[in-house]
Amino acid sequence: MATRIGVDIGGTFTDLVYYDEETGRTVEGKVPTVPSSPDEGVVDAVRRCVPKEVIERAEFFLHGTTVGLNALLERRGAKVGLITTAGFRDVLEIRRGDRAEMYNLFWKQPEPLVPRHLRLEVDERIRADGGVHRPLDEASVRTAVAALMAEGVDSIAVCLINAYANPAHEERVAAIVRDLGFAGSMSLSHRISGEYREYERTSTTVIDAFVRARMSGYLKRLDARLRELGFRGTSLITRSGSGSMTFGEAEDRPFETIMSGPVAGAQGASEIARMLDIEAMVTADVGGTSFDTALILGGEPQILYEGVIDNMPIQTPWVDVRSIGSGGGSIAHIDVGGLMRVGPRSAGAAPGPACYGKGGTEPAMTDAAAFLGMLGPGRLASGITLDIGRAETAIAPVAAAIGQNVEATAIGILRIAASSMANAMREVSVEQGLDPRRMVLLPFGGAGPLMATLLADELGMTRIVVPPLAGNFSAWGLLGADMVQSAARTKIMDLDDAGLAAAGDVLADLFREVAARGDHAVPETVRSGRLDLRYKGQEHWLSIDVPVAGDRFALTAAEIGAAFAEEYRRSFDAVLPGVVEIVSIRASERAPLPRRGEIAAATAAPAGAEEAFDAYSFTGKARLRFRVVPRAAIGEVLDGPAIVTESTATLYLDAGWTASAGRHGELVLQRRGA
Amino acid sequence: MPTSNTVLHRAGAVRTGDPAAADPVTTEVIRHALNSAANQMKRALVRTAFSPVIYEVLDFAVAIYDPEMRLLAQAPSLPMFMGTLNFCVEEAVRNVGGTENLFPGDMIMYNWPYGTGSHPQDLAVVNPVFLDDGELIGYTAIKGHWLDIAGKDPYCTDTIDVFQEGTIYPGVKIYKKGELNDDIHRMVIANSRVPKFVAGDLNAQVVGCRVGATAFREVVGRFGRAEFLNSVENMFDHGERVVRSYFEKIPDGRYVASGEMDSDGISDEPIPFEIAVEVKGSDVRIDFSNAPESRPGPVNCPVPSTISCARVAITMLAGYGEAPHEGHFRAIEVVTRPGTMFHPLPPAPCFLYGWPADQAIEVIYKAIAAALPEAVPAQSGGCICSVVWWGTREKTGEPWADGSPHPVGQGAWKGGDGGTMLHISESATRFSPIEVWEAKNPWLMDRLALRQDSGGPGEWRGGAGVDFFFRMTEDIYITTVVERTRNAPWGLSGGGFAVPNGAAVRFPDGRLVPVPKTTRLAVPKGAVLELATGGGGGYGDPKARPREAVLADLEAGYISEEFAREHYPQAF
Repeated sequence: MATRIGVDIGGTFTDLVYYDEETGRTVEGKVPTVPSSPDEGVVDAVRRCVPKEVIERAEFFLHGTTVGLNALLERRGAKVGLITTAGFRDVLEIRRGDRAEMYNLFWKQPEPLVPRHLRLEVDERIRADGGVHRPLDEASVRTAVAALMAEGVDSIAVCLINAYANPAHEERVAAIVRDLGFAGSMSLSHRISGEYREYERTSTTVIDAFVRARMSGYLKRLDARLRELGFRGTSLITRSGSGSMTFGEAEDRPFETIMSGPVAGAQGASEIARMLDIEAMVTADVGGTSFDTALILGGEPQILYEGVIDNMPIQTPWVDVRSIGSGGGSIAHIDVGGLMRVGPRSAGAAPGPACYGKGGTEPAMTDAAAFLGMLGPGRLASGITLDIGRAETAIAPVAAAIGQNVEATAIGILRIAASSMANAMREVSVEQGLDPRRMVLLPFGGAGPLMATLLADELGMTRIVVPPLAGNFSAWGLLGADMVQSAARTKIMDLDDAGLAAAGDVLADLFREVAARGDHAVPETVRSGRLDLRYKGQEHWLSIDVPVAGDRFALTAAEIGAAFAEEYRRSFDAVLPGVVEIVSIRASERAPLPRRGEIAAATAAPAGAEEAFDAYSFTGKARLRFRVVPRAAIGEVLDGPAIVTESTATLYLDAGWTASAGRHGELVLQRRGA
Repeated sequence: MPTSNTVLHRAGAVRTGDPAAADPVTTEVIRHALNSAANQMKRALVRTAFSPVIYEVLDFAVAIYDPEMRLLAQAPSLPMFMGTLNFCVEEAVRNVGGTENLFPGDMIMYNWPYGTGSHPQDLAVVNPVFLDDGELIGYTAIKGHWLDIAGKDPYCTDTIDVFQEGTIYPGVKIYKKGELNDDIHRMVIANSRVPKFVAGDLNAQVVGCRVGATAFREVVGRFGRAEFLNSVENMFDHGERVVRSYFEKIPDGRYVASGEMDSDGISDEPIPFEIAVEVKGSDVRIDFSNAPESRPGPVNCPVPSTISCARVAITMLAGYGEAPHEGHFRAIEVVTRPGTMFHPLPPAPCFLYGWPADQAIEVIYKAIAAALPEAVPAQSGGCICSVVWWGTREKTGEPWADGSPHPVGQGAWKGGDGGTMLHISESATRFSPIEVWEAKNPWLMDRLALRQDSGGPGEWRGGAGVDFFFRMTEDIYITTVVERTRNAPWGLSGGGFAVPNGAAVRFPDGRLVPVPKTTRLAVPKGAVLELATGGGGGYGDPKARPREAVLADLEAGYISEEFAREHYPQAF
């Protein structure tokens, strides 16, 4: 139950939530993000929102940041030199030959992070079985390193063919690089990823080399500033694959944080699912420009092992959060064929939706919601007063183009946005063989509670849980992050007693590797292992959680085979005859942070007369009288239609739904009659 | 011009609903939902397939059709299959006795080349979709490439009739009312050199079709039949307007361009052909009627793929990057003449149907360039440069097979240098990572590298071709299909030619044998297959290329100093 502070940097706002053990209170805050100097925004948030004595007794500072991601997206990183096997320096540029936009005749692959003249080859070759086909020619290494040093590279990445099967040549290259006095940072592919696929591993290694210096500088600066404010605990950062790692570990493995943007939300969702014992949950994180959805099964998010950032693959575990370009700022427009579309272009934070009165003139989804009264009488918690007239003016031209009035057009904008969000939710569920109707919806983000009942109705769902601090939920999710370290290695073998024994050796090796990374702030750790398995002949595999005893797998090959068959049947509704094969072995070590107490209500109930207001009801298909109720005032059961207000989000409770307060500060919405 | 001996092909023009009665919002919602259903099919197929040709090369198409066999939605997959599945559905259903012979739970297998547009390896599974009340609402269908279907060889360049090309399933029910038809299934297994792959991929197609059917039923159920039909008509009309709005920008006229096949696989004689593009208002007619007579070798392209290549060319250009449906095809008319290379009649061999079709896409662009050069890119390497490998593993005695297309340099266009990718006809396709190949196939790659000086010079230069050198570690067989080795990829608006494709085997004794097209060539352990794919043509006068761009290409080694001095003297 240790005191902790969580700060999540978003595109527009830097969100803060802290939990104070002494008072048992959870407190939220929000400050504008400072894109040019994000650590300033963080320090500012902490200084303004957290009392000095809380900073001093806080044991953990948990951080979610897009610093590494932005360095990559904006191509502001190190000058990297890449060393490859002779004949293969163009792997990074040739990629896999596909077009990211398949119907775009003029699509072109992005410029590689390392230009061709800084990609140099050394003479050596390892075979797929790890055998040495051609020994390393050390003179060729010296020549390449000298050339890269003469170019003044900041960082050297090394990715040799089949190094996943035998790292000896990469190790030797590294030793020579140091012998020659190169003082910059070095990224070796087999240390970054033990998995096969040379393009993907090269891309990951180069990304690591590219963002390393920037991340390291940022984390060092931020840590120093926090210490100046009196913080004496451990600083942690979110990992793409869930959990967190210390700043020190992140400086060593920065690529593991690149895809961590939406992770805190999924992590918070997992915590809620465990607290409320919800077996299958789907999240709906609706922000200004994007919509993120994830499945939480058995209290855990789904993890994938290869992601893509800006058309660059990255071999690292990441939480399977699907993102589409649809959010409160998404703009409705008429396409070349005369149909109305919504997004993916967004009004963003500036100029923002027309109804914010900050200069926006195009109709955003928020304008449609405001016009329909879904946001209530018009005073948002953030202090903005909605200008319904501007919303109407913005929607009118689109309405004229499709021959409908503003009301019908505004309804249409929300239906189109809700349907594309629902499609994304349906796809993630169906891929796991699950029916969304039997799942619980968890909406959060600034506009999540606004869309909640629409999305549930679209998907035939009957139960919604609106978490506390829904508008700041990602920062809240940070507070529950355990520390995690993981490693993986590809080694293809049949799943039989001999194969499993060999996989056990690899697992033990991986645990040693993880332990050697050091910098563990919490002594007790929980180990877990996974095997990526497939029917021999298939390429795609399923990752199966296998219990671990000590540093070995605790099940027999037959038991693991049966678990795989069951998982395969659940996912694809089929069981196939044939040999099962091990592809990769994955180890992870989790150091649980001390649990925190139950969430208290965010703020005390503001007293005051209850209002009523006319708004459009999607279930009633007409404007109805909506009650306007502060969230904290909800007790037993509130019948919709109602608008529920709280400090960072507005809940639209359509007719046909009820809301009641749960035990942990959550609101439970139930469709009437279901 | 269509004449008495030509055939005019148009997209489905029947109407089953009233577009004017459709709500524009519901139309957009249904369009999204149908594309999402097709995506679910694709994911299920890719994740359950056994052969790399499906899961990695994406040599398949998944689509959803209405009862009139009009394309409702297709997931991003092989473009060349995109316009052909309706023919498969039509023929498959006709051959099992029409819609009155369809029942819930039926799955039909169909691969007659003149109906699929492909070679027999490309097998379609067609799943009629019914609502609970027994009403037929359409079809989900997946056409996928099977690694081997018992032709004379796993892959061939020298067939002389269709019967050498593989087993034919002329529309047979592999599932009847949900029950596996075991007799047919055993025939499928018996008729393949790699039965495990084929059984696995057939299962994957069935799983994909079922996933799609569930999603499709759900969409119709959610909106009700009447509203669904009206919205679909409105969606089609919208797609048609999108494509037409593009062609209104192209000046009216008849534009003719020519291409040339290196050979037909039997004789070594080049085969020139021409295609005319006629634009009138927003109508566009692609005229193949002047094509050469169908050939004795397998470079004949059955009508469905001829129509498809026209649809691919046009929708890539005029579809604004959207997933296509039947409406996008309505502005396009295709004219063919029976008995020609683009409209062969049975039993003309058509194993290499894809090669004339691939080239036709770029010939259509060349014709459009005559009207508006800035609308299209210069030619790419012009081929998918396919190699198929197979054999029996030394240690285990297991039969194995694999196959892959390879990337080429792309043509430059006004405003952009060309990149290096698969031919546009396989634009979503990937080749396997070297490490995946080497973990399962008996070879070691010597190099995977961009070819210096292979892209055409220009104000915007073409993309580079690629060297793929495979050193065999066991004795194997290969079939290669590498076209456009005799003609250099063309530039546009003054841009230069690129270096064409090439393929050769270097035997252990030092002999170098060119293998642009070869079937079942025994390649011994230690020999190297040297595949060198072509570059893309340049766009605009090379003299107008900025000095710093030339020097950057020189520093990177994309071009040599000699090449730079010859084509870009302004930089020195």
